[in-house]
Amino acid sequence: MTLATSEVAIVRPRSRRPSSMALALIGPATLFCLLQLLVPVAILFRYSLNRFDPASYMVDALTAENYVKFFTDPYYLTVLARTIRVSVVSTLICLVMGFPLAYWLARMTSRWKNLMVILVVLPLFIGNAVRAAGWMTLFGAKGFINSVLLGSGIIDQPLTLMYTEMAVVVGIITVNLPFMVLTLQSVIEGIARPIEEAALSLGAAPFQTFRRVVWPLALPGTLAGTILTFILAMNAYATPVLLGGPKFTMMGPLVYDQFSQSNNWPFGAAVSFVLMATTLGLTFIAHTALRRRRVG
Amino acid sequence: MLHNSRKPSWRRLALDAAALSSLAFILVPLVFVTWLAFFKQEIPSFPPEGYTFHWFSSMLTQKAIIDGFVTSIEVGVVATLIGLALGVPAALGLVRYTSWWSGAASTFLLLPLVVPAIVLGTAIYVAEVEAEILVYGFGIETPVIGTIGGLIAAHALIVIPWVVRLVTASLVGFDRSIEEAAQNLGATPFATLRRITLPVIRPGVVAAALFAFVISFSNLELSLFLVGAGRTTLPIAILQYLEWKIDPTIAAASVVQIAIIAAAMLVTDRFVKLTQVV
Repeated sequence: MTLATSEVAIVRPRSRRPSSMALALIGPATLFCLLQLLVPVAILFRYSLNRFDPASYMVDALTAENYVKFFTDPYYLTVLARTIRVSVVSTLICLVMGFPLAYWLARMTSRWKNLMVILVVLPLFIGNAVRAAGWMTLFGAKGFINSVLLGSGIIDQPLTLMYTEMAVVVGIITVNLPFMVLTLQSVIEGIARPIEEAALSLGAAPFQTFRRVVWPLALPGTLAGTILTFILAMNAYATPVLLGGPKFTMMGPLVYDQFSQSNNWPFGAAVSFVLMATTLGLTFIAHTALRRRRVG
Repeated sequence: MLHNSRKPSWRRLALDAAALSSLAFILVPLVFVTWLAFFKQEIPSFPPEGYTFHWFSSMLTQKAIIDGFVTSIEVGVVATLIGLALGVPAALGLVRYTSWWSGAASTFLLLPLVVPAIVLGTAIYVAEVEAEILVYGFGIETPVIGTIGGLIAAHALIVIPWVVRLVTASLVGFDRSIEEAAQNLGATPFATLRRITLPVIRPGVVAAALFAFVISFSNLELSLFLVGAGRTTLPIAILQYLEWKIDPTIAAASVVQIAIIAAAMLVTDRFVKLTQVV
């Protein structure tokens, strides 16, 4: 009997107390995230229901007036609409620009591939402010673009490029494009090349092969990349601050200003939640819509 | 594509052109920042009047940037260590055990990636305020708001999803019967972990450590709320400088940052091919 039991124990050593072992491994990280993420977000939500008082800043209350203020004031609605517009436009351009590069990288077999991937990954880690600085040298009144255009006589007045919506969109695209490319690349690499070759050798035109084979198979990655870049665009901070200037307010800077300058914590908390809810809501709608199209 | 490999077609060229212009678009800002760092004149106008290395030494007199750099390194290193200590076991556990709650835990551990950094920053800030009120209520006079510990804890949070992702990825395709064989041959669970499992996931752990450090080092939105008075991180120092003006000094600081990160990535690429982890 003893032998039999110990044999069972030897053959399946881990099955004795799997859940306590799993708890010991997964528990600490989960607990940390709970304390560091869910509890703060819950407190923030509670703050958004408090009342702002110019004298004592925050008064305990249970009111929706901060949300009402946001959705009835045209200024804040403009900021929200602008943020959504910039995010949608930059995400679509990221998709159009990202797909060829992702496909090119995924199908690359030369020894340069690793270097090319590093060139896509490296800017991710440089920080948004530095990349905005790069565009500032191009877009300024004395910047590269105006110097070239003025010098060649194409224009005689410098163009206003800084502090425009175009500058912000361009800046956000540079920041988000690597995320899109890397997400798409990993999915395209998973599509076996013989599938494409089969379609081509059966007489499908390259565009047809793309539309009927590559695109549908890459759709999960497209969805993931689009959602990721959209979330990042909605929450951009450094890019709109540096390339949009003080008047081109987006939601991210608005949240920060409510906390750091207006000291209106309840309203800042409410703006945070509007931002988070809008981002998640639009992500959910896009997700459902695309999934339905794929099924139908 | 196969049919294209015989002769270069216009389609192949169109793909090359589209891909390379997207790549160029990603790199253009970095190229211009690097160029500006060597300009002779202080105002960024084109064409430059000449070139100089002067700004790299004037950069060293910028106290905010040097302090920010030191803080960012400190926070990045400690947050990475905490992230690894919590994230690597979690990844091992998630791959190995499936139960009703481990599925929820795996979604939950990726949540810091999904919640917008700026919202997370405000949330952790108000939680620090509440924590300080709580602590003072017990009569313990320890500050919580704006401490470096709070900053590190917040960075550890956003680092965990990356650690879990990369280590989990390195465990895919790992044949668990090797572990069982080791244990059948009499290895203790600890010896199995040390001699079998850890060597297998080492590339994943190295990549996770690098990513964790760089995610922390380049984070701006979260730190914005959590740096205390008189403390900044490098991204915040750069942002605040750029809000005031752009000149070759800040470009030189950026170039140093680009060089450090590029070097770190090339070194990591020796250990684990980046094409496999990202």
